[in-house]
Formats: sequence, structure tokens, C-alpha cells
Amino acid sequence: MSSEEPQPAAALPPVEARVVLAGHLHPAILLLRFLDGLRQSVFPAVLGLFADPMFLAVAGVVFLVQLGSGLVRYLTFYYVLTEDELRTREGVLHRQERRIPIDRIQDLGFESTLLRRFLGLAVVRVETASGQGVEAVLDSLARSEAENLREVLLGLRARRRTAVAGDVGAGAAAAPASLPLDPEWVVHRTDAGMLLLRGLTDLRIGAMLVAAFGAYEVADRLGMLTQLRGVGATFYDWLRGFPIAVAAGMLLLLVGGVLTVSVAFAAVGNLMAFHGFQLSLRANSLLCRFGLLTTRQKTLPRERVQRVRVEQTWLRRLLGVATVRADSAGSGRGVGEEAQGGFDVVVPLAPLPRIEDLLPAVLPVLPRSPVPLQRTSRLLVLRVFVRGCLQTAFVVSLVLPFAGPAAWFALLLLPFAWLIGQLYWQGLAYGLFDHHLYVRTGIVGSYQVLVPTSKVQAVSLRRGPLQRMLGLSELLVFVAGGPPTSIPDLPQKDAERLLLTLSARATAAAGREWHEHRVGFRPGAA
Amino acid sequence: MEPNDGQEPAPPADPTPEAEGTQPIGLGDPESLGQTAATERLERRVVSYWYVTDLVRSLVFAAILVVGADAYSTHGSGPAYVATAAWIAASLVVAAAVLTPPLAYGAWRFSVDDHLLSMRYGILFVEERRVPVPRMQHVDLVRGPIERMFGLATLVVFTAGNEGSAFRVPGLSRSRAEALRDRILRARGRDVV
Repeated sequence: MSSEEPQPAAALPPVEARVVLAGHLHPAILLLRFLDGLRQSVFPAVLGLFADPMFLAVAGVVFLVQLGSGLVRYLTFYYVLTEDELRTREGVLHRQERRIPIDRIQDLGFESTLLRRFLGLAVVRVETASGQGVEAVLDSLARSEAENLREVLLGLRARRRTAVAGDVGAGAAAAPASLPLDPEWVVHRTDAGMLLLRGLTDLRIGAMLVAAFGAYEVADRLGMLTQLRGVGATFYDWLRGFPIAVAAGMLLLLVGGVLTVSVAFAAVGNLMAFHGFQLSLRANSLLCRFGLLTTRQKTLPRERVQRVRVEQTWLRRLLGVATVRADSAGSGRGVGEEAQGGFDVVVPLAPLPRIEDLLPAVLPVLPRSPVPLQRTSRLLVLRVFVRGCLQTAFVVSLVLPFAGPAAWFALLLLPFAWLIGQLYWQGLAYGLFDHHLYVRTGIVGSYQVLVPTSKVQAVSLRRGPLQRMLGLSELLVFVAGGPPTSIPDLPQKDAERLLLTLSARATAAAGREWHEHRVGFRPGAA
Repeated sequence: MEPNDGQEPAPPADPTPEAEGTQPIGLGDPESLGQTAATERLERRVVSYWYVTDLVRSLVFAAILVVGADAYSTHGSGPAYVATAAWIAASLVVAAAVLTPPLAYGAWRFSVDDHLLSMRYGILFVEERRVPVPRMQHVDLVRGPIERMFGLATLVVFTAGNEGSAFRVPGLSRSRAEALRDRILRARGRDVV
């Protein structure tokens, strides 16, 4: 094969790069492609057998194309690890070569479906710091080969980093001088009980209602509604034959049964997806391993964490448990086919005190001791109430011509507007500390956000007409992953102070980063 | 195409000493770093540009609204008040298009120094934004066909991230926009070793 092709010696350093490791995909991948082909051609084949024989030909073509592309990929795919970079090459006519400098590789992530695990395979994802997440995918290598590749690669990178750290300067070395075999510290393990609880508190009722509404719509379209009504009527008649208590009990049982089934599904789903969840720290990267059928191993360098969220829905808040998510640069961005929803869950579910203990492992800038928080203006309650009044007035004026005096019942909503405002104000707290911004929001749930100030991309203040009248302002903090973090209804003075401080700190941090990484800015983009 | 009216940008009412940007990034009191208030205004002729685009857009929208409602209530079986409501809505839209450009121009302020791009704008909802210069990923100049007829350009600055990562300063003369872009690039280049 093409392993001995001359290297295009374009912009490489004059030193001949020594090949450390090289290899091909595992042959068992052909079996997987064979099965893929079978699976994809099942549908047209069935159509062909029962409807039109034309589809049989389609099935054959689909199967052959799938198998053929798998075969070509297997035969041509080739990877080389030199001391400087990882190269992959594939394709016959359209030959694609990719070079990833070792310094840019953050880690290798592994993922194995049940079948791949049975065959001893792992999909290798090359994760880089480019903000795009996964740079290349090797589907698949033997598990042992993949592990070996990772060890060798991380060892090489660590050696290069310690070598480079010498001339950058002592203060610039962000990571401690890491040796080839960094020890791995287990930060957190989620036990099955917690995963079960996660499933049980998974609030899918809203989703179920939406699904029920959708089913109703479909039934309506298909003209099945009258039949459904007939069924409902017979059911009602049948139910009326019983005493009222028995009938109510049976209805409750029915609803309870549906709820139980959905909760059970959520519980089993959570148990499978996050089975054996373990969060550990290796050098300066977070590692997550989890999964029952499809096992995953993901890596997140801590310097790429843009924001950490500790989330409690109302049920979980009552139980004193929370989930932790970490937004990284590029998370949720959807890079081509590699959209994985970003690096997300860091802790599936744990008691809140436990989470407070482990947060500094995720965000090293956090202080160890609890810190005092600030409240926003109490005028927030007034603003929410006034907004509620305006909305109610709008509803009343719309409904009045049709419903008559009954429209005035909408006024009963007003106390609720006040209550929501009160709860909102109580849930809202913030604090700007040495290295991070803390925001807690939530009316019935509780959602805490921690943003390292060095990751702030831009800051913004927003004032609506009502807010201007009350002298309030909303602060928006932009980071490189996900939607902006907001602190609503700050007093104008505090908001301006935060705007100035945050933007100044972001500027300073960005300037420092520039010096450390010596990244060139290419004006050609403009 | 550029109407050379020789109009210089209005001098900032309160020139800030920080705008010279002699302070190295990352040093000094953070409070003093961020003190650059947005003081500069847009080109005056952006009002006419906004008039043209907004009026055309709102007139088209209003026409569709009125004609549609009229067809609905005369040829269709719709009630008569639909047409009245459409007329009211259409005139409101057009009135808004007539009123907003001068107000928007009056509200717009921005400034660029070596550390920060600051801007403040908005009539009902006032927005005040700060973008650190070293955080900018790239800087674009956008000139639409109508913008070109007015000799105007929009400076678009991108930071990393997906939501709200583009920041625009409209209504700049071409030379000024280019000067701003070059200034930003120089401020960034200075930090590159």
C-alpha cells in the first residue's frame, strides 16, 4: 500500500520527522460495514419483496455501495504518528491527507458501541483545542492499539511541552510540567442509586403532554377522532357501571400507570447512558467515562471550560441534588457531522454539598471557602408585577368583547405575578470574585452559573423602557460556548460597574493569553 | 458613486485620554482600563440610508397587509373590521419607519481604542456593549449595494462563540471604517510577539 509515498515537504521543519507509530484500521471494521449495509438495505429489500421488484435492485446497490466504500476506506486508511504530528490519509481518487500538530491535540476520546466492544474495537476521536472539538475520527482501531496510541501521543506531547516551557518563561507554563504518565485522580463516581434518582426526577411530563397533543392532532388528521370518541364513550359508559370511588381509583391507576411507565423508561435510559459514570482529572484535563451498551470516554481540557452550570429542577431542589454541566468552546456548535451537543454533563447527579466540594476540580479558579453573594434590586419584583399587569390588561382587552364580564377573572392572575416576582428576586443572587462571576437564578428550581472572568468574550447592558423608568439594567456576559449569561435587573450603578470591571478583566486576560500562546492573528480574514 | 459631501465625522464631544492607548494590555487598574465611554457618532447620512431601506421595507409590508386584508374582507367572507385593522397596523408600521431613523441616529454612540470597542444604541431598548479588542476573531467591512450608493460601510466584529458573537457598527464612511479596522488590527498585532 501507499505507506512509502514521498512526503510533500511543504512547510515542514527541515528536521526529518521520525515515525513513532503507524497503522491501519482494524479488519473487523469490514464486518461492521457489512452489517451496516445489510441494515440499510433491509427496508428497500422488504419493499422489493412485497411491492415492486425494482426496489430489490436498489437494495442490492445500496448494499454494494456501502460494502464497497467500507472496503475502500479500510484498504486506503492509514495513520502515522511522528514526533511532530498525527497524519491520517485516505481515499483513492480523492485523496485526503490530514495533519494535526501534536501540540494542538488535547486528547483522544474513545467510543464503543456494544458490537464494537464485543469485537474489541474503539472509535478514536482526535480532540483539539481549535474550538471545534473533534478534528479527526478513526473508526475503528483495536482497543489495545487505541490505548497504546493515546499513551504514546500524550507522552510525546508532554515531553514537547516541558521542552517548550523553558523558553516561554516560568510564569507562562499553564500546566504543571507533566510527565509522560500523568496520574489520574478520580474526582467523582456516580452510583446506580443516583442514576436511578436522576431517571425518577427526569421531568418528562411536559414532553408527554406535547406528545399527547401531537397524537391527538394526527388522529384528527386521519379522521380517527370520531372512532376515538366512540371508544371514549364506551369507556365512559363502562366506567359509569361502577361506584364513583372505584371509577376514580381506576382512572388514577391508569394515569399512574402511564406516568410509571414513562418514569421507568427515563430511569432505565439514564442507567444505561450514564452507567458507571466516572469523572477524573489527569494533568489538566477532565476525563469522563460512562455508558453501559455504548461506552464513551471524553476529555475536556480545563482551560477550555467556558462556563459551569449547576442545575436543579424543582424536584431535584427539594431532594437536594443537582447536575453539573460544563460548556466548552464550540459546544453545541455542530461541526459538520460531529455535532454531539458539546461536552456536556460532568456530574449526572449528586448531592449539592458533594458538588460544591468537587467544583474546584472542574474550575480551578474557584475559592475553597464559601463566598458572600449580592442581591439585585428589589425593584425587580415591581417590574415583574407591572409586566404582569400589562399582560393581564392586554388579555382582558382582547377577551372582553367575546367573554363579557368573565374576562375580569384574568385579574386573579395578578397576585401570581407578584408571587413570581418575589420568588424570582429571592432566587436571584450574584457575585463577582477574584477570578469568576457567579449567578444564581430560578423561580422554583435553582440554576447556578460560574463563569471564569478570563473567558469572557464580550459584555453588554440592556435596558427596556420599564427598566429605564425604574433605574434598572440587565447585564449579559458572552462566552465562547452557549447563550450569554444574564443578570436581570441590576441597579444601574452596579450594572455599569460590572460592565467596566468585566470588560477590563476580559481585555487583560485576552492580552495575557496572547503573550502566552504566541498565536498570530491573520488579518487576511478581514 | 460616493457622494463626496466632505462632511467630517463630528468630533467627539469629550475626547478621552485613554483613546490614545499607550497603556499596555494586562497592566494597571482594571477600572481605569475600561473607562472609555462611547462618544463618537455615526455619519449623518446614515439617517437617509435608513430612511430609504426602512421606508421601502415598511411600505412593501404595509401594502401586502392592506391588499391582503382588503381581498379577505371584500372578496372573501371576512368581517369588515379586518380591513380597518390592517389600515391601522400598516400606518403604524410606516409611521415607525418615518420616526425611527433620526432617533436611532441620535442614540448611537461608539468608540474604539486599543483595548475595547464600546457601543451604545437603541431607542426603546438601550443596549450598551463592550468587546475587548484582543478577543476579536476577525473584523469585516460590509458594504451592501444601497450602502455603497450612500458611501457607507458597516464594521462587523466577531468574537468566538455562536450566539451573539457578531457586533456591528453601521453607518460609517468607507475611509473611517477602514481606519477603524486598521486600528483594531494594529492594536491586535502589537500584542503578537
